[in-house]
Amino acid sequence: MSLVEITDVTKQFGALKVLDRISLHVERGEIIAIIGRSGSGKSTLLRCINGLEPIQSGRIVVDGITVNDPKTDLRRLRQRVGIVFQSYNLFPHLSVARNITLAPTVAKGMPAQDAIKIAHDVLRRVGLEDKINAFPDQLSGGQQQRVAIARSLAMQPTLMLFDEITSALDPELTGEVIKVLEDMASSGMTMLLVTHEMGFARRFGSRVVFMHGGRIHEQGPAADTLAHPKTRELETFLSAVLH
Amino acid sequence: MIRHFAWIDLFYLVAALRWTLALTGVAFVGGTCVGALIALMRFSYLGPLRFLGNLYTQVVQGTPLLVWIFALYFGLAIFGFSVDAWTAAACALSIYAGAFLGEIWRGALLAIPRTQWEAGASLGLGFLHQLRYVIVPQALRVGTPPTVGFLVQLIKDTSLASTIGFVELTREGQTTTAATFQPFSVYLTVAGLYFLICFPLTQWSRRLERTFHVTR
Repeated sequence: MSLVEITDVTKQFGALKVLDRISLHVERGEIIAIIGRSGSGKSTLLRCINGLEPIQSGRIVVDGITVNDPKTDLRRLRQRVGIVFQSYNLFPHLSVARNITLAPTVAKGMPAQDAIKIAHDVLRRVGLEDKINAFPDQLSGGQQQRVAIARSLAMQPTLMLFDEITSALDPELTGEVIKVLEDMASSGMTMLLVTHEMGFARRFGSRVVFMHGGRIHEQGPAADTLAHPKTRELETFLSAVLH
Repeated sequence: MIRHFAWIDLFYLVAALRWTLALTGVAFVGGTCVGALIALMRFSYLGPLRFLGNLYTQVVQGTPLLVWIFALYFGLAIFGFSVDAWTAAACALSIYAGAFLGEIWRGALLAIPRTQWEAGASLGLGFLHQLRYVIVPQALRVGTPPTVGFLVQLIKDTSLASTIGFVELTREGQTTTAATFQPFSVYLTVAGLYFLICFPLTQWSRRLERTFHVTR
């Protein structure tokens, strides 16, 4: 069974159809880059996977949990599915340590000492162990985003979602975040990324999914699909992104 | 027998000020309970609760405090509940403060971006945990300066309790005026005493505003 099974999903905001009968299966360990113009529905798709957005029809199953079933306890799902946002969304009133330990202690009931140990571990993975006592506003954008990744990792998720996580960063700060993504990719984490980082998609992506008008317009092995697009829309999109 | 406004009168005024402060304190605590409930009701997902919270706020904010004081003091007596001046004033002020504090705090909760709720939810926190650990601590920063500002308003509004014979600062001023027939100096002193309490609070509220503005 696939880790993520999206079947025939339709999502509407009023009369606007944002996702139009989308189907996508993600296997464990896959790294999928979702690309496409803004407004093509890629962020919405990501947000539907952890239940932040309700869907109108279809079915989403993640790790055996049916996301769109009203009986599902979304908290249980979200403890296994990490998401990192474009605007970091760290808790500004809490230290880096508390940002990371909050969910493990409160949602999982982990003892504080164990949570702190995990906080050190995940911060080491993103190269920010020395910032454990800092507050979010004392960090650069790149550092905040790495803390946000660490915060998600502390829940030991089986799946990580990334919603344009480098789009708000200066070019020289993107590198440090991409580096963290590469480490995670090498560690075998299942990842779904909405991204404009074609370089990362080409080198680490197992698959590229191109969305257009709320549908999956084209998909295939990352390097091959990016080098030889089959549809005109993807070709146009790639030439616009890569200049 | 008319006598002069003397030191002893000032002493009585200061003594009466205690009751102004006591009434303010009780009304603030009562208003906090009502206000917190109203803010949460107006923030809830349940339509009827939102409606009731909204109705309460509209009705209370749209009626004079004095009317509430009269209604509780004189009105309830008709139905056989004899309410003393202290209870009537404390209840009326709590009802009134609740409507305004509820509105202030609802605004403070709304001021926290939706993305903070989402970040909490995405980490597997439930609604109450999001509220307690993520939203309320941030909303407190936003809500404290206007809350202190409202407290100043409340201190001054306790003077309306003088109309039902509750002896607080203003009522004591009236008594003193009757004895000395020097309304100008007496009420000026009364005003001065209110100012001495309110001014530091106003300054504090401003300082809080500045501090929170810088750290956010």
